[in-house]
This record gives sequence, C-alpha cells and structure tokens, in this order.
Amino acid sequence: MRPLSIHESYADRHVLLTGASGFLGKVWLAMMLDRVPEIGRIYVLLRPKALRSARDRFEKIVQTSPAFRALHERYGADLSRFISERVEVIDGDIAAAGLDVDPAIAERLRRDLDLVVNCAGLVDFDPDLREALSTNVDGTIYVADFVATCERATLVHISTCYVAGTRSGRIGERLIPDYAPNDQPFDANAELADARAAIERIVAEYDGPERSAELHLDVLKHIRERGLDTNNDTLVRNVTRRLRRAAVKDAMIAEGQARAKRWGWTNIYTYSKSLAESVLAGYRGRVRFTILRPAIVESALTYPFPGWNQGFNTTGPLSYVLGGWLRELPMRRGNPFDIVPVDYVCNAIAIAGAAILKGEHAEVYQCGTSDKNRLTIDRACELTALAHRKHLRRRGDSVVDRVVLSRWDGVPSTLDHTLSVPNLREATKGFAKLMRELPRRWPKALLRRAQRAAKRADELDDKLDTIEHLIELYLPFIHDHFFVFVTDALIDHQVVEPEFRFDPASLDWRRYWIDVHIPGLRKWSYPLIENKTPESYTPRHPFTFTQAPTTGERAGGGAQGGVG
Amino acid sequence: MSTKSAAFFRAEGTVLAPGVLSATAYLASNAKKFGERALRLGVVALSAPLHGLLGQNDRTLGNRIAYLAFRGMSEDRIAELGEEYARDVLKDKLLDQGVELLKRARAEGHRVVLISDNIAQIMEPLLPHLPHIDDLVCNRLEFADGEATGKLLDPVIGGHGGGRWVQDYAARHDLDLRPSLAYGAHGTDLLLLAAVGRPCAVNPDFTLRRGAREADWPVLEYRE
Repeated sequence: MRPLSIHESYADRHVLLTGASGFLGKVWLAMMLDRVPEIGRIYVLLRPKALRSARDRFEKIVQTSPAFRALHERYGADLSRFISERVEVIDGDIAAAGLDVDPAIAERLRRDLDLVVNCAGLVDFDPDLREALSTNVDGTIYVADFVATCERATLVHISTCYVAGTRSGRIGERLIPDYAPNDQPFDANAELADARAAIERIVAEYDGPERSAELHLDVLKHIRERGLDTNNDTLVRNVTRRLRRAAVKDAMIAEGQARAKRWGWTNIYTYSKSLAESVLAGYRGRVRFTILRPAIVESALTYPFPGWNQGFNTTGPLSYVLGGWLRELPMRRGNPFDIVPVDYVCNAIAIAGAAILKGEHAEVYQCGTSDKNRLTIDRACELTALAHRKHLRRRGDSVVDRVVLSRWDGVPSTLDHTLSVPNLREATKGFAKLMRELPRRWPKALLRRAQRAAKRADELDDKLDTIEHLIELYLPFIHDHFFVFVTDALIDHQVVEPEFRFDPASLDWRRYWIDVHIPGLRKWSYPLIENKTPESYTPRHPFTFTQAPTTGERAGGGAQGGVG
Repeated sequence: MSTKSAAFFRAEGTVLAPGVLSATAYLASNAKKFGERALRLGVVALSAPLHGLLGQNDRTLGNRIAYLAFRGMSEDRIAELGEEYARDVLKDKLLDQGVELLKRARAEGHRVVLISDNIAQIMEPLLPHLPHIDDLVCNRLEFADGEATGKLLDPVIGGHGGGRWVQDYAARHDLDLRPSLAYGAHGTDLLLLAAVGRPCAVNPDFTLRRGAREADWPVLEYRE
C-alpha cells in the first residue's frame, strides 16, 4: 500500500455529512474541522425539526455540544467565521426520496461533491420496524441514489460489525450480497418487500373492527382505573389515539424482532443495517462506495477530550447496573467485548474517506479491537468494578457507598446462577405475596408494616424487571456469541499523519476503562439513566453563522422519520 | 577505577513502616468475591508465622507464601489495588527520617537505590511521593493470561542474595562500593550492609543489632 495522507486527500475536497447530530457524526465533523482545516466545504444535511430549521439546529449543536469544545477553545471568537467559511447546512432528510433537498441546492451538490459520509442511522436496538427501515434502509437507498447522480461523488457508508448476526468466530471484511447469518437462502429485496407488506398488514389490522373493539374496551378500562369520566368524548378519543399508537408500535417491534430472529440477527438494528448493506451491494458499478463497520462505539480516548460520550451506549446501562447492588451479571468468560473509542472510529472514517477519494479503498472496513487488542467481557466487568470502587471510595454519597458499596464488586456469572435476576425477581415476588397474606388476626401495626414492605418489594421488582430486559437485550453481545472482527483493511493503509492512525493495539484498556471511559459515562451518560440532565457546555463566545442562509434553505419544516 | 558511588536503602524498616504482610493482606481482603477474600487472607495469615520465625534470617519463603495469596487475581486488580494501597496507606506511613536520609544521600551525589520486598505494582506508584530515586529494585509477580500465577519472579528480594546482588549491581553500573552507603533494618540485610564501605543499621532487629555491634557499624534509632 502507498502512504495515505489525510491532509492531502481532503484538501479542497467537498464533503456531505449526514447524521451530524449523532454521537459519531458530531465528533467526526469537529475532528475534521479541527485537524484538517484545508478541507473544502462540508455540507451538513440536517432534518428541520418542528419550528427549528436545520441551520438553527446546527447552531445549537455547535453552541452546546461538548464535542465542539476543542474547536471553541482553539478558535474562540473566531470560530463563527471559521465554521461559516467551511460548513453549509442543508435542510433535508435522508429518509425521503432525493433527500428532500431543495432542487437548486441538490443541483449544486451534484456538481460539487467529492465525498458523502452517511453517518445517519437509528441505533436503538429494538425500535419500531417502520422507523428502522425508513432510516437505516431507505436512508441508505436514497443516499446511494443521490450519490449515483453526482458527477464524481463517492460514498462512505457507516454500518456496524454486528451485521454478522448470531454467528461466532472470525468475521472477515467482506460484503456479501443477500447475506443472512443463518445461511438460509435469502433475498434482501424480497425480505424488504415482505417487511413492508407486514407493516401495512399490522396498520390495517389495528384499524380493523376486531382490534378497534378490543382497544375500545381497553380505553374504557384505562379511563375507569384513573377515576375519570368514560362519557367524555374528547378524553376517549385522545386515550384511544395514544393507546392505538402504543399498541401498533409494540406490534411493529414484535414483528421486527421476529424477522430478525428468523434470519439470525440479534436485533432489529443489526437486521436493518444488514439489509442496507445488501441493498448497497446492488449499487456496485454505479456508485463508488465503501462500508465502514464500527463495533461498539464508546467514550473518546483523546478527541474532543478524554471521556466524551453522548446518550445511552452499550456499556452505559450495563456498567451503571454493575455500580449498584446487583452483583451477578450473566456473561461468558473469555468472550470478546468489542469496544472502540469514538475518536478511533472517526480516524477510521477519515482513513476510509481518504482512501476512496484516492481510489485506493477496500470495499469493507471493520473498526474494532477484538482482533488486535482483545478485551474480554469478564475483564470489562472487572475493570468496571474497579472503576466504581475508585469513584465510590472517594466520592460516594454516603458512608454505606464509601465503605460497603465500593467493595461490592460485580462478578461474571452464569444464566442459571442462584442470584440471577429472574431468581431475585421470584424471591421479591414471593416476599411481597407473603407480606400481603399475613393472618388478619395479627396486630394492626404489624400488618401495616407488612403492607409497606410489600410495596417496597413491588418497587424493587419493577427495577429488577428493567434490569432483566436490559440483560436480555445485551445477552448476544456479552454471552451468546464469540465474535472477532478482522480489522486488517484499516491497518493496511500507511497513514502519514500519526494523529489519524487507527492503532487498536496501543490502547491500554485499564487506563482507558478506569480513568477515561467509566468517568466519562458517569458524567455524560448516567445522569440520563437517572432522568437528570448532564452538564451542559457554554462556550465563552457564542457560535452563529456569519453569513445569511443561501437561497433554498427553509425556515422550518415538517419532514417526518429519520434521524438525519 | 570508578568514582561513582551508590546509597542502597532497604525500604521496609528504613523508609516505610509497614512490611509485606500489611500489603498482601490489604490486597487479599479486597479480592473480587467475598469467599475469595477470606481464603486469600487465610494464605497471608499462613505466612505470618514464617515472617515471625524467619524474618530475621531469610524472608524469601515468607514472601513466596504471602504472594501465593494473589494466585488467580487479575493483573488489573493488583495494579489498581497496588496504586490504591500506595496512595491511601503507604504514603502516610513513610518514615520522615528515612526520607531525610534519602534526600541527604542524593545531595551527597550518591546513586539512590531503593530495595523493597513489596511488588512493583505497589512501589512504582509510591515513587512520586518519595525524593528522587534512581533505581527501584523490588519483587515482581509472574502473570499468565492477565492473572497472577502466585509465583514471584527470580530473584526474590528478601533473602541473603543481597550481598552477591549488590556486587553484581556495582559491576553493572560501574560503581565503587567502598564510598557507597547501605541502610538496612533486618538480619536479612547483613550481607548487603557488609558489601559496602559505609553501612548503617536502622532500628535493627536482634540479629542485625548483634551483627552491627560485632562489625562496629553505626546504628541509627529513629525517634518519634
């Protein structure tokens, strides 16, 4: 391989970025602006939301997201000019044909673009099937269609390593059209058509008389339980609409899960992402593209600053649970837990983009750590316990936290362990039942206390229920499968700039986990789990575009679907 | 002929108050599982009488048994607990007069060498809290697949190897032992002290006190 220079590859090249409001998109955008200021123009495709235009949304993102902290600190008052010269925000939606971009702007983009980076995606594990297909599959189709009509644009599509589905072993960097993990004969387009038909069927079913009658009874029961008036038509209508929406969503999730399971994918997310890859394979010859598959994207190691994380990622809820009183978490010892810091993934996107701009790209790049520097799930559990210990010993809220909880280490266990969550739930339920069924002749004071204890047990059971669901969701990644994702394609590129190299072998897991990752989660992710607001960032110099919007940008819009 | 000289300090007893047993007990009692903690503490307790019986003579066996308590403990945990022990316990138990001796040795231009029975995971995080140390020589655990095997890598610090070791060390670093200093506190340091020109016994135990008296070495008693 010839040496690959990121600076040289991107100099004066124009890039369209989708998904700039997501964790990965934001960091990549900030990193490219910060490290490759000679880049041409970056067009940011954002969906207008409610009354807020894409441009307003972008301004708010730069203004409040800590991902842009490094840029704010570097440029200060000059950042508005710096970004205005390089970034143009485009109103649009990847889940709409033609990306819902104004025709005049679309024409300009088709002429100008050198590279499209499709970071947009719905990353919930089990979302509504309609949303998953619309953002992850239709979004990919529309982006690829758009790239196909551009003069010279190429495409970097962000997928996930876990499209491999429920299979174990070394997963190679290959794009297999019509791939299904269980090796059954599979036609992605037929599956897509079938899924769409199923969606329509579900919607029709819930509009039909049988379901409507059932729903009506549910609505009346719901209203009566709250002690409200069942003759209030407006109330009945509103509750009906709400319950129908929830019921349809549940049915969509169930349908998606069934489909994913039938072909061997772990969840709706990986199912829809894999369908998108299969669809993209159909564009071979028409669109020059490369697929980048990150593993589990987590806190930044260095850029924008150590520990930066956004929202719920995989290890957030799991490590949060391990920081509490639950000790036994089912996991299979020795299974790789493929975590990769977000700045490593951003480097990988930069490398894949540079390679495709130079025409030296591979078709698929996998970006993980299990191949070159494996972190096992039991080691991750041990490091999590040690990180919580370090925090609780010094900064625990109470003496109990500092003395007892800090020494209450989470340990790997088996699914059928005596203290597994299902068993704990059985015990709590049994206790609550016992407390409620004490003989009535017992003293009143005692019975009152028993009632209170039963209530506490119910609350505990609710918490355990959440944890049980969480564990079920993550079992494929921490217990069921032994995945090793090959990452040779990225490492093969001899990147000239050291700060852009993808070097998983250099990651010191202990330092990363204890001093960077878990403290990062504690600051940015745990507050969300506790329904609190994480610390916000206020730069000294506010960011606003220095130029007026270009013609064709709208002041607001009602585009639906997608997370552009 | 070399003009460079060194000052050898046996950490336990001259610079640090607690010994190996305290460190191993701390780590053992913070193992992952509750049952495991009791079991590992039991192993440390087993080595305690050996330290008592042979402590003035040869600590190798006692050390080997004490560190056996770490068998199967993860490298991450040992490193993290080692740091914690150094920061939260050892740092506050440094002997002020020992630290003064370290500073003085440095000011006199000696190469300062700290020899410790403790493991590197504990001693290395302690270094920032000590005056400048040129070389740290301490025990090292063997690890396999990220877990301690319970064995110490040779040479095990704590025995009578100190005498021969110091000769080799001097040859390797081109040191003249005649103007060199050595501070020790236990009978096990006799050969180390005998190898240098300016030995000093610090708060010596019975064996070292008798040896020091016979060899006419200075004896230093720290006072509170």
